Amino acid sequence: MLGKPTQIRLAVACLLARGHLLIEDLPGMGKTLLSHAIAISLGLSYNRVQFTSDVLPADILGASIFDRNTGEFRFVEGPLFAQVVLADEINRATPKSQSALLEAMEERQVTSEGTTRDLPDPFFVLATQNPSTQTGTFPLPESQLDRFLMRIELGYPEPEAERELLRGGDRRELLKDMKPAIDLAELKSLQQAVSEVKASDLLIDYIQRVVNHSRVAPEFAFGLSPRGSLALLGASKAWALLHQRTHVVPEDVQAVLPSVVEHRLREAADFAGHGGAALAHKLLTSVDVVG
Amino acid sequence: MSTKAPAVGVAYQIPRNSLALLMVAQLVVIIPHTLQLSVWIVAVALFCGLWRTQIYRGRWNYPNSWVRAALVVISIVGVGLGAATGGSMSFSLEAATSLLVLAFALKLLEMKNRRDAYLVIFLSYFVISTQFLFDQSLPVALYEMFATVVVTAALVGLHQLHSQVRPLASIKLATWLIAQAIPLTVVLFLLFPRVGPIWSVPMPGGHQTGIGEHLTPGDVASLSQSDELAFRAVFKSRIPAHRDLYWRGLVYSQFAGGTWSVGTSDITDLDAPARRPEEAKPQSAETMAQAAEGLASIDYQVMLQPTGSDWLYALDVALPRTPTLYRTDDYRLVNNTPVLSVMRYDVRSYPDLLMSPGGLSLRQRYVETALPEADNPRIRELATQLWQQTGEVEAFANAVMAQIREQPFYYTLQPPKLPSDNSIDAFWFDTKRGFCTHYAGALVFLARAANIPARMVGGYQGGEINPITGHLVVRQYDAHAWVELWDEQAGWQRFDPTASVAPQRIEEGLDAALSSTDRASLPTLSALRLADWESLTDALQWLDSLEHRWNLWVVGFDANQQAGVLRELLGKVEPWRIALALLFTGAISLGLAAAIVFWRRRAEPLAPEVKLFQRFGRLGASAGVPRAPHEGPSSYLPRLAQEKGLVVEDMQGCVEDLEQVMYNSSADQNPAERQQALRRIRQQLRRLQVRLALSN
Repeated sequence: MLGKPTQIRLAVACLLARGHLLIEDLPGMGKTLLSHAIAISLGLSYNRVQFTSDVLPADILGASIFDRNTGEFRFVEGPLFAQVVLADEINRATPKSQSALLEAMEERQVTSEGTTRDLPDPFFVLATQNPSTQTGTFPLPESQLDRFLMRIELGYPEPEAERELLRGGDRRELLKDMKPAIDLAELKSLQQAVSEVKASDLLIDYIQRVVNHSRVAPEFAFGLSPRGSLALLGASKAWALLHQRTHVVPEDVQAVLPSVVEHRLREAADFAGHGGAALAHKLLTSVDVVG
Repeated sequence: MSTKAPAVGVAYQIPRNSLALLMVAQLVVIIPHTLQLSVWIVAVALFCGLWRTQIYRGRWNYPNSWVRAALVVISIVGVGLGAATGGSMSFSLEAATSLLVLAFALKLLEMKNRRDAYLVIFLSYFVISTQFLFDQSLPVALYEMFATVVVTAALVGLHQLHSQVRPLASIKLATWLIAQAIPLTVVLFLLFPRVGPIWSVPMPGGHQTGIGEHLTPGDVASLSQSDELAFRAVFKSRIPAHRDLYWRGLVYSQFAGGTWSVGTSDITDLDAPARRPEEAKPQSAETMAQAAEGLASIDYQVMLQPTGSDWLYALDVALPRTPTLYRTDDYRLVNNTPVLSVMRYDVRSYPDLLMSPGGLSLRQRYVETALPEADNPRIRELATQLWQQTGEVEAFANAVMAQIREQPFYYTLQPPKLPSDNSIDAFWFDTKRGFCTHYAGALVFLARAANIPARMVGGYQGGEINPITGHLVVRQYDAHAWVELWDEQAGWQRFDPTASVAPQRIEEGLDAALSSTDRASLPTLSALRLADWESLTDALQWLDSLEHRWNLWVVGFDANQQAGVLRELLGKVEPWRIALALLFTGAISLGLAAAIVFWRRRAEPLAPEVKLFQRFGRLGASAGVPRAPHEGPSSYLPRLAQEKGLVVEDMQGCVEDLEQVMYNSSADQNPAERQQALRRIRQQLRRLQVRLALSN
């Protein structure tokens, strides 16, 4: 990945805050590549589910299959049973399949045919989606969007980065040579460290004011949920840790704020489901850090 | 008929939940009026309430206009009939209130829109105020205060959103609103001029309490059953002994058929000449004052509960010191109008003053010795016999009282029934059981039979001292009757034959004289009040002192009192001074309420580090680089340095310190360290100030 340090940082922060990540962009922008690279560099098991309109919940979760040798039904785990799951083009699937994945994301467990099975730990869903205006998409409802800690957009690369890209060989070849940068124990201790990052009362007040502003200002169709404010704090902590700090400062909140809140907000006058970016900008600029 | 769609939009409808509060308010407002109104009006009000509840529940329909018209006509006719049968053809206060309450109740049946609800609420306030025409006591005042809160809560509820109606929140807000109004209420109460009535309200009348103009022995006995308050008296000096507290109320000079009646006594007219030259002139106030000079006097103030009649109570011999009072020639005090609310009057009494020093007129002598023809022969015989033995008034009276002491007479509140003919004979010779009226009646009869001018005096005897405020409380069970005999030398002399049969009654009060069967016949509360149950007595005394203070300071605060207060406050009572005082104190009281509101909504005080950071922002703003709201220390200070051409790295320490105290502080942090950091930040601030000044 070239020329996208912020997006990569955000993706890592999302993982450290134990949240799921939604990557939204046009096809061919490197979404899959990014998720793949993350999985490899963290040394985690990795599965990819390609969503289409005919994918069924059983295709994701797994199903019981009759084993002729033993004469019994055997549960075959679906692709969801991996530490990193790439749900590619999630909005091309029907709502039924979408919700099967989303339930697993929240509960971190799968219930199939009366048996509840825990998913591996850590469990990290990277979902990609095409912009909802493209044909053949089922937009995710707000309740499901809310379950993603962050949503990031990759955007077109910088000219310099693109020239570099063109000059170099196939980037996928590089993936094969990638070595895990950290192991599982280190990842877990990092996640633990994130939850121990200090957030002072002053900062909590700031986050609360931000969230409250989204609830009272008239241009917001609806305010941020408590899950939204928790997500904002968690992501800020991860961001602070990535910058070698043990406490959160308002700049951390502001850095993660667009990715955390954009997909949770909708403009009051907007019926197509856009305008989150402008609203996030409004939250950023109009709320005073010290009241 | 009623399937027609409502003429106004849904927006004007009364919200269902606030309607419930409104109906509760209406009920609360009507309840105290049930004491004055006839039963059928209460029934109509309850029926209307039931009907409205059924409408509320969707069971019944609104009555159509014919039904409503019929109800109105029936109500008016009913009130008119009630007033007519009640004896007063005029439009009395009771009739007016009945009509008001009926209209108020009937309004329930057409309460559909907000407009109706407002009408009901404003009417509720009015109905609350009418209650004070009947009763101004402390419990009523407290209750009406509560009613005001409930009505205000209904008003608040009317303005709540349909989706979130919370009656408790409405009541809380209403209480807070009323509490805010209290200072202004006090100011208006104290200062607002008492305007005389523009039109005269026919005051509630009819029922009289206390002793009456006709006294049959049963009357005092039934009064003894009542622990109702008669009056309170505040003495300027020491309260006289219990046995000297004879509160003169009425003088009974006529006796017929076993009943004593008030004679015709004239109000002392100072300038009127005696009707006939040989008639003694009634004592004028001037001569009385002259005679009283040098004699011991008792000053006191009486707060008389409403009696519905015009006579007042005072100790002998009383000189009124309140302008509206008159003295009659039998030394009673009367008011110029019937006493309808708590009345307060000042009296000075001279216990040793002679009554009627000018002697008796022929007419008086005739009246005070008159007896019915030829009844009670036995007692007449006894009178002649005793007069022959003694031949002197005091000795005669003592002889009678000695008989009472020596013969088996008993004091009891439940005497056997006496025949209407020769009742005194029957009492004296046969039953020998009775209470004050029996004994006093017998003595008067005996004296008159011996041709001594004699009369019965009714009033109260004794009273109970409230230790909390030190006033004397006289209740209906203190009602008493005693005797005055005319002595040519000593004038009218008081004799109390009850003292001979039951000396405790006079020395200590009714309680001491009661037998156990008498006590058992009393109503519970009276009995408890008399009993030696200490904690209850204490509580009742405390309540009494509360009520006394209420009468003293609130109900008794009339135009006279107000003038006194105004003179004290303003020096002189002039309209512009009053207006200025009203304006000034009104502004203070409103300001007080406003101050409380602001204080309750004040912002949390800022932490010192936040204040410091804001000072950086102000400093930057004055240098032309204001802080954007979203900028924290680490983004603003470097930008400020950069834009003003200062060395950005110099800021680093300051940014670190600020972030440390703002975002990395915790409870376990060393406070000294924190203070040190704050001090460093202040230094940095000053340094930055200097640098910015230099860079300009």
